[in-house]
Amino acid sequence: MNSRSRYVWAYIMIAPTLLGTLIFWGWPVLQSILLGFQQSENFGLINHWVGFDNYVKLFSDEEFWQNLRNTLYYVVLFVPITLALSTFFAVLLNSKIKGLSIYRVIFFLPQVTMPAAAAMVWVVLFAQDFGLINHILGTRIAWLSNPNYAMFVLVIVGVWGAIGLNMLLILAGLQGIPKSLYEAAEIDGAKRMGKFRYITIPMLTPTLFFTSIILLIGATQIFDSIYLIIGKTNVALPAVRSLVYAYYQNTFVYFNPNYGAAIINVLLLINIILTGIQFALQKKWVIYD
Amino acid sequence: MTEVHTASARKINSIVHIILIISAIAMLIPFIWMVLTSLKTTTEATQIPIRYLPETPSLRGYTEAIKQSAFSHYYINTIFTAFMKTAFPVIFSSMAAYAFARIRFPGGTFLFALIISVMMVPNPVFYTPQYMMMSDLGLVNTVTALWITSLISPFATFLLRQFFLTISKELEEAAVLDGCNPFQIYWHIMLPLVKSALVAIVIIQLQWSWNELQWPLIINSSPEKMTLSSGIATLVSMFGTDYPVLMAGAFMAVVPMIVLFFIFQKQFIEGIAFSAHKG
Repeated sequence: MNSRSRYVWAYIMIAPTLLGTLIFWGWPVLQSILLGFQQSENFGLINHWVGFDNYVKLFSDEEFWQNLRNTLYYVVLFVPITLALSTFFAVLLNSKIKGLSIYRVIFFLPQVTMPAAAAMVWVVLFAQDFGLINHILGTRIAWLSNPNYAMFVLVIVGVWGAIGLNMLLILAGLQGIPKSLYEAAEIDGAKRMGKFRYITIPMLTPTLFFTSIILLIGATQIFDSIYLIIGKTNVALPAVRSLVYAYYQNTFVYFNPNYGAAIINVLLLINIILTGIQFALQKKWVIYD
Repeated sequence: MTEVHTASARKINSIVHIILIISAIAMLIPFIWMVLTSLKTTTEATQIPIRYLPETPSLRGYTEAIKQSAFSHYYINTIFTAFMKTAFPVIFSSMAAYAFARIRFPGGTFLFALIISVMMVPNPVFYTPQYMMMSDLGLVNTVTALWITSLISPFATFLLRQFFLTISKELEEAAVLDGCNPFQIYWHIMLPLVKSALVAIVIIQLQWSWNELQWPLIINSSPEKMTLSSGIATLVSMFGTDYPVLMAGAFMAVVPMIVLFFIFQKQFIEGIAFSAHKG
């Protein structure tokens, strides 16, 4: 078969994915950027060009900065905790231990659980009067409506849901480390901790890098748990409201798609910057053999 | 010396077990509490001091959740949407992934990069324009709107390409000599070789679409057009603090995926671990 007809076949085979990507994702990204510079009537039916007006308004809005701080605060708490606990459990499960597959299944179970359903049981668990958490701790904390605690609830729920998948990714990374490295270290008299510090961690850095990027991008988009667990009338909402939540509220509750677009475009920019930083820092800590 | 060594190893082993057992129970508490609460009476669910077990387990929560909400619609919409959002992306992605992995063609690298770059964009960036698109097409508040924007998957394309890249060249060379076109090679030779990856992607897509909340919430507001995810979210406003009903609804929404998970847990877990390994 000549190369020309191979080309044609290749284009035919990528056509659905390419067209779908351009129509449903590529075009919307451009639209979203445009919407940020426009003022629309009737939800995007008539658009006027307003330059940076939406952004000027956004950056002078204290609520936006609060939402941005909330989002970053969540990221800063959620990502390291998830990464640390996932690594911890992956290391424990990497040894030859009885009931390995049962633990794997149990830890992964939250991953397959619908967030909307899980959120409801978390509301019951964290209830002030009849909640199991307060009962176990012997406290009477208003977890969900106290601005000081609401964020911790979201982090706990987030970590609970994320450990399974990330533990699995890290476990796969651990099993990819050649056994010969450990054997060589044992001959040199390395102890458990030494082997962990000088072999496991360095060899695991590519996996940790990959996992941290996925976690970071996911964490900046926190919405479900705020919407479901905190809810729109909760006094603690301002203390946890994320950029995506604010985007949703402005666009689909207040019907201001332009202000919403400005918010979400800022998040897009933040994600590009954060990923860029991670790739730049990669050279400092990720070890490829 | 050896005895001391095994003794300490055994001690570490039992510490590991204790940590794992406690953590596993902690991970399971929400599930246990969901089921227990769903079987309680409304007063039992909020009783102080706390009540662990229902006095006489009642199914009122379940019958009430089904009777008072559009539960059968939620189920049908969710199953249909999940099917569409799984079948099409798997077919389209595997085709594109094969072409990107095995055929060198002008613009291939660029187009692949273009498709992959979409993965980096936060999903909400797409929602307003997609909503406008659906609105122009008169599809707001229809079941079609739930799946039409997700018939393709950059993630699946990326993952499957990784798998196709690992297959040795000799396998297709014989088929080329026999005069097979690239599509025939893909369909008859390559696809069966990546079966395990396909199963993993089917499961991941199913799970994503089953659990997705934000898009269904945005695009559909009438109960008959909702998915389990958005339907469950609205149960809260319908039943307020009738926790047994809420928990029963939640339980019914998670059970299908959990059952599927237990049946396919090997593929579920190994598919994901394997794909990470390859990536």
